[in-house]
Amino acid sequence: MRVLLVEDEVRLAENLAAALRDGPGFAVDWAADGQAGDDSARLRCYDLVVLDLMLPRLDGLSLLRRLRSRGDPTPVLILTAKEGARSIIELLNAGADDYLAKPFDLGELIARAKALIRRGMGAAHPTLTALGLEVNTLEQTVRREGVPVELSPTEYRILEYLIHRPRAVVSKRELLEHLYDYNWEHHSNVIEAHVSNLRKKLEAALPNPEPVIETMRGRGYRLAPEMSPSTKPRL
Amino acid sequence: MRASIQPRSIAFRLIAAVLAVELVSSLAVIFLSLGYERHSHFRAFDVMLHGRADTVIGAVQDAEDASDNVMLNQADLHLPSEDIYEVTDAAGRLLGRSPNWQGVPAASPANPGDSFSRMTINDRHYRVLSTHGSRIVDPADPGGGKLRQVTILYGSPTYHVWRAIRGAVEFYAAGSILLLLVTGPLIAWLLHRGLLPLRQLASLAALVSVNSWQFSPPDSARTTTELAPLTQAIENVLQRLERSFRQQQTFVSDAAHELKTAVAVIKSSLQLLGMKARTAAEYKAGLERCLSDSLRLEEIVAKMLILARIENQDRSVPRPLPPPADDFAEILRQTVADLQTIAALRSVEMAVSNQTLSSPADPSSTRLPVPIAADDCSLLISNLLLNALQHSEPQSNIEIRLTLESNSNSQTLQLEIEDHGDGIDPEELPHVFDRFYRGDPSRTRSTGGTGLGLAICKAVAEKAGGTIAIASQPSQGATVTVRLPLANEAPSQQSQFLPEGGGENSPG
Repeated sequence: MRVLLVEDEVRLAENLAAALRDGPGFAVDWAADGQAGDDSARLRCYDLVVLDLMLPRLDGLSLLRRLRSRGDPTPVLILTAKEGARSIIELLNAGADDYLAKPFDLGELIARAKALIRRGMGAAHPTLTALGLEVNTLEQTVRREGVPVELSPTEYRILEYLIHRPRAVVSKRELLEHLYDYNWEHHSNVIEAHVSNLRKKLEAALPNPEPVIETMRGRGYRLAPEMSPSTKPRL
Repeated sequence: MRASIQPRSIAFRLIAAVLAVELVSSLAVIFLSLGYERHSHFRAFDVMLHGRADTVIGAVQDAEDASDNVMLNQADLHLPSEDIYEVTDAAGRLLGRSPNWQGVPAASPANPGDSFSRMTINDRHYRVLSTHGSRIVDPADPGGGKLRQVTILYGSPTYHVWRAIRGAVEFYAAGSILLLLVTGPLIAWLLHRGLLPLRQLASLAALVSVNSWQFSPPDSARTTTELAPLTQAIENVLQRLERSFRQQQTFVSDAAHELKTAVAVIKSSLQLLGMKARTAAEYKAGLERCLSDSLRLEEIVAKMLILARIENQDRSVPRPLPPPADDFAEILRQTVADLQTIAALRSVEMAVSNQTLSSPADPSSTRLPVPIAADDCSLLISNLLLNALQHSEPQSNIEIRLTLESNSNSQTLQLEIEDHGDGIDPEELPHVFDRFYRGDPSRTRSTGGTGLGLAICKAVAEKAGGTIAIASQPSQGATVTVRLPLANEAPSQQSQFLPEGGGENSPG
C-alpha cells in the first residue's frame, strides 16, 4: 500500500513516514507543500492521502477540494491542529474521510490509516479471507487452511494487495506503483521474483496445494478464480 | 461601576431643571403681580378715600352763628358705617366725627398737603387720609364771604383691598401650579420621544458581541447632531476592536497550530522510538532527536513570549525599565562581532559601512540613542543578521549600512542589511513579517526557524515608532531596511534606569 503524506513540518513528516513504513509496511511519499502534494496526487497511485491543513502554497482544504473535483476516490486522512466542530464538518463535507487532531497518537494514526485503506478497497474487517487464505492485516500474518505461512515484508504486501482485489487482474506496474515509493528503483523483474517466492511459500504450506496466484501473461496477476473468493470476515 | 453610585437619568434631570425654572418664574410672576395689584388697588382705594373725604367736606355747612363758624351736618352723610372720619377747623376745634371714632390721636394739622397714615381700631387696619378742605361762609356777603379751613381725617379699613389683592395673587399662583402640573408630564413625554434615537442606538450597540461585530447604527442616531459623533465613535472603536480581536484570534490560532505541531513532533518521535525493540544506538539517536525537537518547542515558546513582552509593555504600569540603547552604532558593532563566528562557519562575510560615524565630528554628537531597550535593540539586529546569514549563499557577503537622515525637526536612523542569497519570491514578500510565516518549506528544512524572528523585528521597530521594510530581487538577494527615530535624551528619564537592571530579561 502506498501513502502520500502532505505535511510541511519536516520533523513530523519524517516521523510519520518512518512510522507508516515501519508499522504497516506502507510505501510513503512525502510532499512538503500543498502544490507538490497536488502534483503527486495526480499520479493516482496512492491508497491513502495523509493531509495536513496548514500548508504553504496550497492549503490542505483546497487540495482536498481539487482532489475530489477530479473525481479522485482516494481516502483522505486529515491532520489538523484547528479546534472546533465547524472546521471538522467543513472538512468532512469537502470529502475528507477521517481526521486526527494534533498532537495525535501514532498508533491511532496507523490504525486509522489501515482502516481507511481497507475501506477504500471495499473490505470491512481487518482479516481478509479468500481461497482458504487468511490474511490478518493487523498482525501481518498469513495462514493457509489454518497453517501459518512465513512471508517476507514485500511478499506479504503483494499478497495483501492481491487479496484486497480478489477478482481483478493486477498488473506488475500497478503493484510497483502501490508497493514502492518513488525513491525506489522500479524494475518489474523485482516483482516477478517476489511473486515467484510468494507462490512457492504458499504452496509449501499444504501437501497437495492448488495454485493461488495466476499469471495472466502480459497483463499481470490475480488470485485464482476457481474457488469463489470471499472477503467476509472469519472470526 | 460601584453599587453605591446611583444611576442618574438625563431625562429626570432635564425635567427637574425645567420644572425648577418654571417654579422660579411662577414665584417671580406671583411677586410681581402682588406688587402690581397692591399698587393699583391702593391707588383706587386712595381715590375712593378722596371721594369720600370730599363728601364729608360737602357736609360742612355754615353754622349760622355770630362768628361765622362752620359745622358738620352729619344727617346728610351716607357713608359706610365702618369708615371713620373727623373734621376739625383751622383752630383745631372738632366739628364732628364718625360715631365709631374713638381714641385716635389727631393727625398733625400742620401738614399742608394730603397725607396718609395707618391706624388700628378694634383690631382693624385702617388707611387714613388727612386732607384739607375749605368752605366759604356767606359767599353773598360783600368781600366774598369768609374762608373757613377744615381738616378732614378720613379712614377706611384696608381688609377689602387686601382681600382683593390676595384673590388676584391666589389666581396667579393657582395658574402657575396648574401649569407646572401640566408641563411636567408633557416635558417627560417629549423628552422620552426626543431620546428615542439614543435608546435605539443603545439597543443596537448592546447586540454587539465578540461573536457578532455587526453594528449598523439607526438612521435616527446618525442624523441627530448630538448623537452623530457618538455613533461615529462607537463605529470606529468597534472596527478597531474587531481588527485587533481578529489579529489576536489569528495569532492565538496560529500559535496553537505551531505549538500543537511541535508537540506532535515530540510525541511522534517518542512513539516511533517505542514502536518496536531497538538497539541502544538507535535509542540514543532517537533520544537526541527528541531532545532537539523539544528544543525547537522551547524556542517557539521563548520567541512567542518575547513577542508578547514587546507588544504588551504596558506604559501605565511603572516598572524599572531596562536601559535604553544609548548608542545604536555600538550595539550594531557588538552584535556583528558576536555573529562573526556563525558567518565564518557559513563562509559569509559581514561588513559594516557606517557613513554616520566616519565623519570626524564631535564624538558626543555621534552617539545614536534610539528609544528601544538595549536588549531589544540587539535582538532586532541579531534576528535580521541571522535571517540574512540563513539566506546567504556561501562565499557571498552581507552589507550593513547605517545612515543618519536629518530632517528639520527630527533625526532618523536607517539601517540596511543586504544579503546576496536566493532572494524572496514576490508572492511571499508581503508575508515575511507575518507571524509564523515561513517561506519555502524546503528552505525551512535546512535552516530551521520558527517563523517568528522577523515578526519580532517588526514588533520592536514599530514599538519604537520606526518602520521595517524588505525589498528583494529573486536570485539576487534581499535588503531589509529599518528606520528608527533618534531618541531625545531626556535626563529625567535617564535617572530612572538602574544601571545593572537590564541583564536579567535578556533572552538566551
